[in-house]
Amino acid sequence: MKPRATYGQPSRYSIGRPDDFPSGTRISIDQRRVCVVREGSKLAVISTICTHLGCTVGISDTGFACPCHGSRYDQDGTVVGGPAPKALAWYQVVMAPNGELEVDTNIPVKQGTYYEL
Amino acid sequence: MTELPVQDPAPVEAEKQTFLTALTALPRNFWDSWFRHPLPDSDLGASQTSFTNFFLHIHPVKVHKNTLRPLYTMGLGVMSFVTFVVLTVTGILLMFYYVPSTTQAYDRMLDLRGSVAFGTFLRNLHRWSAHAMVAIVFLHMTRVFLTGSYKRPREFNWIIGCLLFLLTLFGSFTGYLLPWDQLAFWAITVGTSIAGYAPLIGQKIQFLLLGDQAVGQEALLRFYVLHVVVLPVLITLLVAIHFWRIRKDGGLSRPAESELPSGKTLRVEIVPGAPSSKTTFGLMGFVRGPLTKVGNVPDNSVYSWPNLLVAELFVFVVTVAALLLVSLLFNAPLEEPVNILHPPNPAKAPWYFLGLQELVSYSAFWGGVGIPGLEVLLLMLVPYIDRKVSGVGKWFAKERFLANTLFITFALLNVIFIIIGTFFRGPNWNLVSPF
Repeated sequence: MKPRATYGQPSRYSIGRPDDFPSGTRISIDQRRVCVVREGSKLAVISTICTHLGCTVGISDTGFACPCHGSRYDQDGTVVGGPAPKALAWYQVVMAPNGELEVDTNIPVKQGTYYEL
Repeated sequence: MTELPVQDPAPVEAEKQTFLTALTALPRNFWDSWFRHPLPDSDLGASQTSFTNFFLHIHPVKVHKNTLRPLYTMGLGVMSFVTFVVLTVTGILLMFYYVPSTTQAYDRMLDLRGSVAFGTFLRNLHRWSAHAMVAIVFLHMTRVFLTGSYKRPREFNWIIGCLLFLLTLFGSFTGYLLPWDQLAFWAITVGTSIAGYAPLIGQKIQFLLLGDQAVGQEALLRFYVLHVVVLPVLITLLVAIHFWRIRKDGGLSRPAESELPSGKTLRVEIVPGAPSSKTTFGLMGFVRGPLTKVGNVPDNSVYSWPNLLVAELFVFVVTVAALLLVSLLFNAPLEEPVNILHPPNPAKAPWYFLGLQELVSYSAFWGGVGIPGLEVLLLMLVPYIDRKVSGVGKWFAKERFLANTLFITFALLNVIFIIIGTFFRGPNWNLVSPF
């Protein structure tokens, strides 16, 4: 009953080259349900799956906001309002040999863990 | 060895039968073999009809008058069963057209509307019957609780009933995903996320249900298999046990015989003496329980055929008529096809889980796991906690004031939360006025 492999989206995938994410931007990749945050030479990938009931959160001025039940998060994904029980997940980012950034959603990292480019 | 007189197995008249007489008697013989007993005009006839018919044999030959009081049972048990039968029939018909694939499911919904004869009506009937079943099964449970019918010796059947209620909820929930529209997708996303809140096993259960990290093709296939095979088979099995236990527990609950208006008195005797060759003894001679009575006993029973049959037929007709009427008047909702990128605001679980969703918006653990878990546990354990046998068989018996009040409070709280979740929650789960 427990599939060893799933047909859904792979947990490891490439999100493109570092140049695709200019410094200071927060780019949401809707299909992957993650947001890529770049600040200078630091880069992180934050999940946009609401920890409340699994809706997709949108990027707001102050961080993230969930359209389903009004959970609000700050820029780092910490809950600042609404029913969400915990912060948004941060995922591990590594540089693949071909120069593309690779995300692994199976490996959560601590909030504030940036990848140094 | 003495020679026994050999009897001709075939009567003499039979030999005279020719092909022609068989042919002329065919309609008569055919009729007689199907309708073996005429409409009952005697007690013996009524008993024989019940005994020799497979479908009637599920009933006892005689039932207590109290069982047939419409205001006692309100026919809710039969009504639940009728909705299940309607769901099975319409469900099988829908299966001829449905494909559990994320690329085809929604198109098939549109096909039901556009190119299948009575397709919309079929889907309406299935959808409204499903909602009705959840509500009616709960009302049935309420009736059983408020009349104290879960008490000894019916504890086991009460548990079976609780399981049937849970299976009904789960059956309705798994069916909710199948149209693969926005309503379905986000209700199941939200609903399975609530399951994910259970400690330790929650995440695992969620993954097993979905077969993936998120609702997708695997989840659709899993929900489909659960919905059309696993749950109906389990429900059918438990319904059979549920019905069987009713008879084994001495029929439906009722007040003690002394509290009922006295009916006829029946003289029951066991004739002493050795079994003779003219008598056969069935196993029913050894049945234990409240129905084996000897001496002068008050008799408040009537023959099941036709009394119970007519009552059941009445409930059947009324239930089916109501479902047909609702399905003619109201169309089952079908929203836009699934769009993973745009959750509706607010995204809501199916109505019977909206009470939980409302609670989850206050506290994830208590709403999703704590309170529903405690409620189910309390419900299942109640016959083992509440052991007094007084007040059985009466609505709102004084002796059962505490238990009934607790149950009504819990039920009303759930209903209130469901109403708040359904009508008073708008975008961002903010309170809104539905008026």
